[in-house]
Amino acid sequence: MFKYQRPNEQSYAFLPLVNHPEKNRYGDSIETVPEGHELRGKSLNINNDDGIGDNANRYKQHGFYFTADNCISCHACEAACSEKNDLPSHIAFRSVGYVEGGSYPAYSRLNISMACNHCDDPVCLKGCPTRAYTKFAEYGAVLQDPDICFGCGYCTWVCPYNAPQLDQEAGQVEKCNMCVDRLEVGLKPACVSACLAGALDFGVIETTPENRTQLETTIPGFPNSDITHPNIRFQQTKSLPNEMKRTDSMPIRYEKDLQGEYQSKVDEKSQAMQWSFKKLSTRENPLVVFTLISQLVIGAFILLFIGPKIGIATITATSNPIVWPLFLFALISVQTLALVLSTMHLGKPHRFYRAFNNLKYSPVSREVAGIAVFYNFLGAYTCLTGLPVLFTWLPDAVLSTLVVVTGWGATLSGLAALYFMHAIYRIPARPYWNHWSVLNAFYGSMLSLGPLLIGSLYFLMAMLVGENNLQVLNNIALIIAIGITIELLGLYAHARYLKHHSGESQASHYQQITQFGKTYWLRNILLSLSAISMFAMSVINFEINLALIAWWAGCIMIIIAAVLGRSLFYALVIPTTMPGAFFWKNKGFEEHARESGLASRTDAGVLINAH
Amino acid sequence: MLFGRKNKNPIKIADKGVVEWKYATCGYCSTGCSIEVGIDKKGEAVASRGVADADVNRGKLCIKGIYEHELFRKTRGRGNKPLIRENRWDEFQETNWDTALSKTADEIKRIQQQYGRDAFSIVSTGQIMTEEFYTLGKLARGVIGTNNYDGNTTLCMSSAVSGYKRSFGSDGPPGCYEDFEHTECLLAFGSNLPEQHPIIYWRLMDVREKHNFPLIVIDPRVTMFAQQADMHLAINPGTDLVLLNALAHVILAEKLHKPEYIEAYTQGYQEFAELVAQYDPVTASKICGIDEDTIRNVARVFAKAGAAMSIWTMGINQSTHGSDGVAAINNLHLITGNLGKPGAASLSITGQCNAMGTREWSSCSGLPGYRSLENEQDRKEISEFWGVDPEFFPKERGMFMTDILPAIETGEVKGLWLIATNPMTSMANTARIRKTLEKLEFLVVQDAYQDVETNQYSHVFLPAAIWAEKEGCFTNTERRVNIIRNVCEPYGESKTDLWIFNQMAKQFERGQNVIFPESAEGVFEELKTLSKGRMLDYSGMSYEKIEQSRGIQWPCNEEQSPQGTQRLYTDGVFQTASGKANLLALPFIDNNERPDKDYPFWLNTGRVVEHFHTRTRTGKVANGNKFSPTPYMEMNPDAAAELNIQHGTYARLSSRRGDAIVMVQLTQRVAKDTVFVPFHFHECVNRLALGLLDPHSRQPAYKQSAVHIERIENQQDAAQKNAMARSY
Repeated sequence: MFKYQRPNEQSYAFLPLVNHPEKNRYGDSIETVPEGHELRGKSLNINNDDGIGDNANRYKQHGFYFTADNCISCHACEAACSEKNDLPSHIAFRSVGYVEGGSYPAYSRLNISMACNHCDDPVCLKGCPTRAYTKFAEYGAVLQDPDICFGCGYCTWVCPYNAPQLDQEAGQVEKCNMCVDRLEVGLKPACVSACLAGALDFGVIETTPENRTQLETTIPGFPNSDITHPNIRFQQTKSLPNEMKRTDSMPIRYEKDLQGEYQSKVDEKSQAMQWSFKKLSTRENPLVVFTLISQLVIGAFILLFIGPKIGIATITATSNPIVWPLFLFALISVQTLALVLSTMHLGKPHRFYRAFNNLKYSPVSREVAGIAVFYNFLGAYTCLTGLPVLFTWLPDAVLSTLVVVTGWGATLSGLAALYFMHAIYRIPARPYWNHWSVLNAFYGSMLSLGPLLIGSLYFLMAMLVGENNLQVLNNIALIIAIGITIELLGLYAHARYLKHHSGESQASHYQQITQFGKTYWLRNILLSLSAISMFAMSVINFEINLALIAWWAGCIMIIIAAVLGRSLFYALVIPTTMPGAFFWKNKGFEEHARESGLASRTDAGVLINAH
Repeated sequence: MLFGRKNKNPIKIADKGVVEWKYATCGYCSTGCSIEVGIDKKGEAVASRGVADADVNRGKLCIKGIYEHELFRKTRGRGNKPLIRENRWDEFQETNWDTALSKTADEIKRIQQQYGRDAFSIVSTGQIMTEEFYTLGKLARGVIGTNNYDGNTTLCMSSAVSGYKRSFGSDGPPGCYEDFEHTECLLAFGSNLPEQHPIIYWRLMDVREKHNFPLIVIDPRVTMFAQQADMHLAINPGTDLVLLNALAHVILAEKLHKPEYIEAYTQGYQEFAELVAQYDPVTASKICGIDEDTIRNVARVFAKAGAAMSIWTMGINQSTHGSDGVAAINNLHLITGNLGKPGAASLSITGQCNAMGTREWSSCSGLPGYRSLENEQDRKEISEFWGVDPEFFPKERGMFMTDILPAIETGEVKGLWLIATNPMTSMANTARIRKTLEKLEFLVVQDAYQDVETNQYSHVFLPAAIWAEKEGCFTNTERRVNIIRNVCEPYGESKTDLWIFNQMAKQFERGQNVIFPESAEGVFEELKTLSKGRMLDYSGMSYEKIEQSRGIQWPCNEEQSPQGTQRLYTDGVFQTASGKANLLALPFIDNNERPDKDYPFWLNTGRVVEHFHTRTRTGKVANGNKFSPTPYMEMNPDAAAELNIQHGTYARLSSRRGDAIVMVQLTQRVAKDTVFVPFHFHECVNRLALGLLDPHSRQPAYKQSAVHIERIENQQDAAQKNAMARSY
């Protein structure tokens, strides 16, 4: 096996033999698999070495121990990890950040060294659509296989501790591997062995390391452990100031509550209300397009399919034999384009087919599956109704049954796809997203954008033939107005939720009304005005010129509001992530380094072209 | 439990394919960590690891050591071929070694003939091997014959050397790291171990986990060390001497001193006692900012401890009272008998990996082996050993580095040879240094990196091998001589410093009559001979034995101490003429540039853990540089609020010397009237610093200057200017 043991190795590098309780504090067994289980006695095949480690605790959940009192932020753990794993400077499996408080000279800085916590309930493993993650019976290590990963980065969204690292250069995620190669030969991980302050330790979980007394699950700056049951324990005995601040650009601070626990709070930095249009453009831009187009296409299809059944007949196969297939194929093309965009958004687009690998747990897999099913039903329905000459050989009854089946299939799968699309964002580690109003936004957009498209087309056609009866348009306007209203109600509830839910949500809200304040209010006003104009259209029979203005003005407002709103949706999320340092893991500095050219002049650990 | 997939691929973990580990000693600071460099099948250095059974670091390395193997091939800017040009504004031309060496020798001869021998000056470093220092000394003193020969150690350890010499009659830190295990009280003056010497911090922390003793940190800034201390004394900048005199005052006043030790082993008590009598805690507290109760308390804890220890670094050394500060710490130890026994030492924590080697063997301040030019016997011994005329040696030492540069400014010195040092970034008052270097008729820069900033002003560049591309020894803080084995070939056509010195000697007629051993080990034999029977006895060492022992502390001789010696002065006999240590009366004169109406902030400078000196190396190790890729200023948020300066923006600093743009990091770690800027960065803090010189050690006071701070409206422009200064 591996020759990590140095001649005359020091005792600090060896894993101790310890007594441990049967179950951890969450009631989970510390032994990962019982004696005789099929997962026992297997090689980890590390770099194709088929040896089996002789570590006596091989099938016990291990974890890190961090004595926050002692950490001096010397970077030895980070360097040892990066050196061992041969990482480029823009990636780190372990990072040290800090929070600080008090006033000179009664000043305290609390450094936090954090890697993967190899959780009992690994949300990364559940969330990954490709099933790149495995929780090993060996040591309870949660390992990720970059050869399976297609670089969607969803695990980096769901993890509350910022453990998985999306390498935008390599187009894949990588993370802490618990140094299982060292564990196999009885040695502690490289970071622990390198610690210069007695801060970092490692072993079977729920055992108190030598010279330590506490086994806490939280310190200021560490997210709530309820989400994933992380395998990390803390000691922090020194008194800290009541308020601890972050040095990175996240507008978050931590304040001691009456129970003595530190809670995250917004750190208002008296920012003026701004547009910040540049910052609206994020790595998630393809998702802005993808989500809006999918909602538009599904909404448009459902109106086409169900409209006639409820008295809103717009374009139909029989009355518009030319426009009908053209329009449906246009919908398919737009949806295809959106799918291509979202695929190109992956680090490794050629592995797109792996998106379906985790239907059992991953909302991403389910969403992709939902969209795929919708897409196929839509295609079939389009061919059956739009190109009837191809199906003259089919008996009428069969054809009409097929039309009904594919039509309803597309409708239901479209609705389901949007539900799963919303489920993607219901992430506890991202409080800004984790609210029911996401569903309102997505279904709301479906009801506004789809009918908007159909309505506009209908309007144009009506004008071309000089048709003045706009009753159908009134009904469509009502649907749009309802859609926008649903979204607006969600937004109202969302803003109320943000204000009290957590420090991260407050911080998002704070950014929403300051850094993006002007953009945010523009979107809200546009949505409200368009709702009013669409309601007005649905109840008042405007004369044609007024209707023209009301409709098209509404259209423009809705489209601008949709793009702004969806961009804000991605730009404003503030995860329950670990505090960064002044340069490293400071999003503000990374942006600055790119904008100022510092990143290209010195090795700042910042990729020059990040998105 | 949820396990995920059943069909698993083999786990891939980076494998660097190390087939052999080669022994070395770290080439950054003077902790002296034993390090092994991993060589892969192709012979490339791909990994570094601590040597587990080395007493100094016990297998640990700091961030710089962990990535040290990257220096050989991965860091950009290494010098490949010698470079030459007529004027400093011409483009460099690549040349061969013969041309570069003969051009340099010709210029040295020309300048010496035209302006006198001392008009050519040599300034070296604390970075090269002891054997190379000794050879350079032989070349400078015995062949070229200039008395203006010094090392950049004047910028870091000169005050410690001077203080030790004044107190004990000789340089040489008396204690060792093992003293942490025996001490009952530790005072740390102006030392931030976790950041500057992380491995020494680890040794200390490891002891404190087992048995605790009072750790008292004296520092104007709330460093990580201050935060980990039992007591933090947030002292006013530049007033350590006042505190030290006051501590001595309390010890004497409360009769906590050891009269029998003072009587037996020291001299000068009367004058000393009269002086410290003036520094009562009340008076002192008004100057140093530490309240009288705390002064008394610390004095009692120190004096009553069974064994007490002091460490210090640049907070003491880099001040106008650096040498006095060191002597005052020694005073405390002498009056309490805290010397020469386990756990009792006044231990200067040295800066560069081989600052000690240059102090011992480079002949900068005298002659090799702690011999002095002023001593006729010493001159005679060395001249005979080298085979040169004793009259060729000057009878007293010449200028320090910090006086050589002003001598260039005034035209006294016309030519300069710089070896592994970078005054463009390291010297205070950058504008003045630029003007100074411009005046040189001839500048030769010998360095591993051709992008070292000072090279902008050179006429010849000699590319040198780095660290373990060579073989030789370093001496660390605790007098431990440790070896660097040759790990790989020098980069490109660069050559070892030893080879360069030897070849240069051949260019001079006098050099052809002096023996210059070819190999480092050959040179080491000379050191052994010259050191036999002296305080820094190397005679019991050999390369093989040094590697096996993971370093040996001098004195080491075959008879009395074959395994080396942990502590000096165990017998109470000092290196003064009388054998007694000097208790010195050290009056405090406040000569610092203090903050005033125009320049209202103290400017403090210092190191960060991921960088070393002027970043010539660490600025190119991406996985370290990323932790501070650009300079920053720690500033108190309350002070910033008054000036409307925000966290993370750029601010402009100006002093009586110049200005600098720096990114602001707001933190309560610094006092409201103080800012801290790391010293590593080119075109930054040294544009501002005054660097007033210590009268004894000639070391600059980098840590006390006054600056004005203002908000910058055009942040984009400031960012551009800062980025430009990072591209060299």
